[in-house]
Amino acid sequence: MELFFRYVRENWVDLLVFTGQHIMMVLIGLLLALVVGIPLGIMASRNRASARIILTVANIIQVFPSLALLVLLMVAFGLGTTTVVVGLFLYSLLPVIRNTYVGLTQVDKSTMEAGKGVGMSPLQIMLQVQLPLALPFMLTGIRIAAVIAIGVATIAPLVGGDGLGREIYSGINMNNSARLYAGAIPAAILALLADLALERLQNATRVAGR
Amino acid sequence: MKHREAPTRIKGQAIRVSSALLIFAVIAVCALLSGCGNSNRIIIGTQTFSEPKIIANMYKLLIEDRTDMKVKVMPDLATSTVVLDALTNDDIQMASLYSGIILDNYFPIERTNDRASILRQAQEGFDKHYGLKWFDSYGFENTYAFTVRKELAEKEQLHQISDVKDKAQSMRLGVDTSWLERAGDGYADFQKVYGITFGKVYPMEVALVYNAIATNKMDIVVAYSTDARLKEYELVTLEDDKHFFPPYDASPVIRKEVLEAHPELQEVIDLLIGKLDAKTVIDLNYEVDVNKRNEKKVAEEYLKRIGLLK
Amino acid sequence: MMEWLSDYGAFLTSRQEDILIALRDHIYISAISIILGAIVAIPVGIWLAGSRIGWLNSTVFTVANVLQTIPSLALLAILIPLLGIGRTPAVFALFLYSIMPIMRNTYSGFKAVDPNVMEAARGMGYSRLQRLLRIQLPLSFPYIMSGLRVTTVYIISWATLATLIGAGGLGQLIFSGLGVNKKELIVTGAILAVILALAADFLLGLAERWVTAKTRSTPASGTV
Repeated sequence: MELFFRYVRENWVDLLVFTGQHIMMVLIGLLLALVVGIPLGIMASRNRASARIILTVANIIQVFPSLALLVLLMVAFGLGTTTVVVGLFLYSLLPVIRNTYVGLTQVDKSTMEAGKGVGMSPLQIMLQVQLPLALPFMLTGIRIAAVIAIGVATIAPLVGGDGLGREIYSGINMNNSARLYAGAIPAAILALLADLALERLQNATRVAGR
Repeated sequence: MKHREAPTRIKGQAIRVSSALLIFAVIAVCALLSGCGNSNRIIIGTQTFSEPKIIANMYKLLIEDRTDMKVKVMPDLATSTVVLDALTNDDIQMASLYSGIILDNYFPIERTNDRASILRQAQEGFDKHYGLKWFDSYGFENTYAFTVRKELAEKEQLHQISDVKDKAQSMRLGVDTSWLERAGDGYADFQKVYGITFGKVYPMEVALVYNAIATNKMDIVVAYSTDARLKEYELVTLEDDKHFFPPYDASPVIRKEVLEAHPELQEVIDLLIGKLDAKTVIDLNYEVDVNKRNEKKVAEEYLKRIGLLK
Repeated sequence: MMEWLSDYGAFLTSRQEDILIALRDHIYISAISIILGAIVAIPVGIWLAGSRIGWLNSTVFTVANVLQTIPSLALLAILIPLLGIGRTPAVFALFLYSIMPIMRNTYSGFKAVDPNVMEAARGMGYSRLQRLLRIQLPLSFPYIMSGLRVTTVYIISWATLATLIGAGGLGQLIFSGLGVNKKELIVTGAILAVILALAADFLLGLAERWVTAKTRSTPASGTV
């Protein structure tokens, strides 16, 4: 145990850098997933047929083992951060799409009618009524995506990426438990903090009286 | 009228959240971009065991000290094959490789056990077919070593690999993840040359084989000859009586175009050629693998001790 | 294209023993983890649904949630120094992962049982065991099943990481393929894992329909 504390004391700068890299990869992957996923979710909510296709494809990506997906992406994008970010983007898609879709489709029809009655265009209804009401659901999707992304990002070093997974791999490959924990524990804490923070955000946006 | 107010309040929050995310995005993309396309930077890739990591860090210190180039070390690439592919794809620019790798069908070779010939073929072949400059050796070889516990070796009188032929069926063999798949010097060809098949075969990260055999989870393992844990756990290496394994001299390898663009690197790389013998390397490995120290610090200490770094 | 397919076919035949062993190990690891997870999580979920001890509920759920949120590789890594490498730590880690979804769905299912139905049953003289077997379990069955299905797919996918700690499985094919740049190995390992997950989900769906038909009870609406 003291080996662990000594290691952290000696290398805390590196660990901080790894943590930063980890967060960065997750953020970019998540952002891309939002940019692509929310529109897809909106599309799915308006069109039954497209919903089926979009959700099925996203489902299959989700089931694909992360180890395999990252390795296959590496064949296309080479070693490095790009491969990891593309992988994180893909894994964040389903939660974002599905939760956007569910959030939008559960909006009370009468609320939307009210909007139409006041003279809102379909676009305005979407932007000013549906999306805001779907926000708690979407945030749940983001929360799930974030936790998954932080998890997948720990595998990044396998395809030349950075992040806290570096220490975990070093620990496994060099049979060094101190390093193992130096990578695993911050990764675990990161995931828990993200989950907690997003849960707070989610609760804050919940409509009163739901 | 709760419905009318709530969406407005949420909309305000939504706007705040999305702006924050957008700002993050911009910062993130900038950070990422600033790291790429940096032509004054090279990446040294390494395999998963300590030895090439120590050497890579030595080069990082030397190059950054003596030139104005920046070096990033990308460790833990799954196998030497992955390292070589990464070099070919320009995902990394430099690495340490072992001459015996030419047996894995990269280009036509002449199978021999002559150490100098294998090295020469590696240098010529990788230059011609892959545009890589394969330097002369650091001065040591790291080859595959069939290893057993001392008690077993003494009890069964095991001195060379052929000695295990009769017992092989009842033995558990531990190997690194690539040895089973390798062409030329992997398990398949081993079985042909020695006529030995083991009862159960377990692939795992090479770092784990030493502990596995020391604690009797395995009966025999294929270890790396310069690993310090061989001595640490009092393990016995069996002689390769049929000369199945080729020589595995270690050398730095760099993409030719990088060397042409930065000729100052030649001098720095030469600093370690012929300077690392097996004993030195085993001691360095010991510091990292047994004393559990960080390879960066071990590399730095060593360079300072031999006066290559102030 | 045809040539590629026949090459791949030849590859499959030449490596079929390794592939089958990897598949068998993968099924074994996944199945044991889920079964153990169910054995622990379902009773705990049932108990928590019936218990009135508020803090116990939140503690158990929090712990389970924490275990679920921790990245899989991190969890596997944390267990290595404690349990060593190989199947045992892999199964244990996956077991820990499976607890939360199964437990939560069981809990939701039991909570969703209409208290009036329970009252009626009590009035009719049903014992606690009878209430459990005749009312609660059948009514919450769709929830439990849903939890099991989601968990199964999830575990089969994450079991590919088991190879990193020497436990074998389909991840072994992926990892070996990576190591020697044999893309067919990588693709085979990946596709088999996906097929396995989808097949397991499908079979469990069939099982669910069969059980529901046998017990003649109307499933509560709304799967989680």
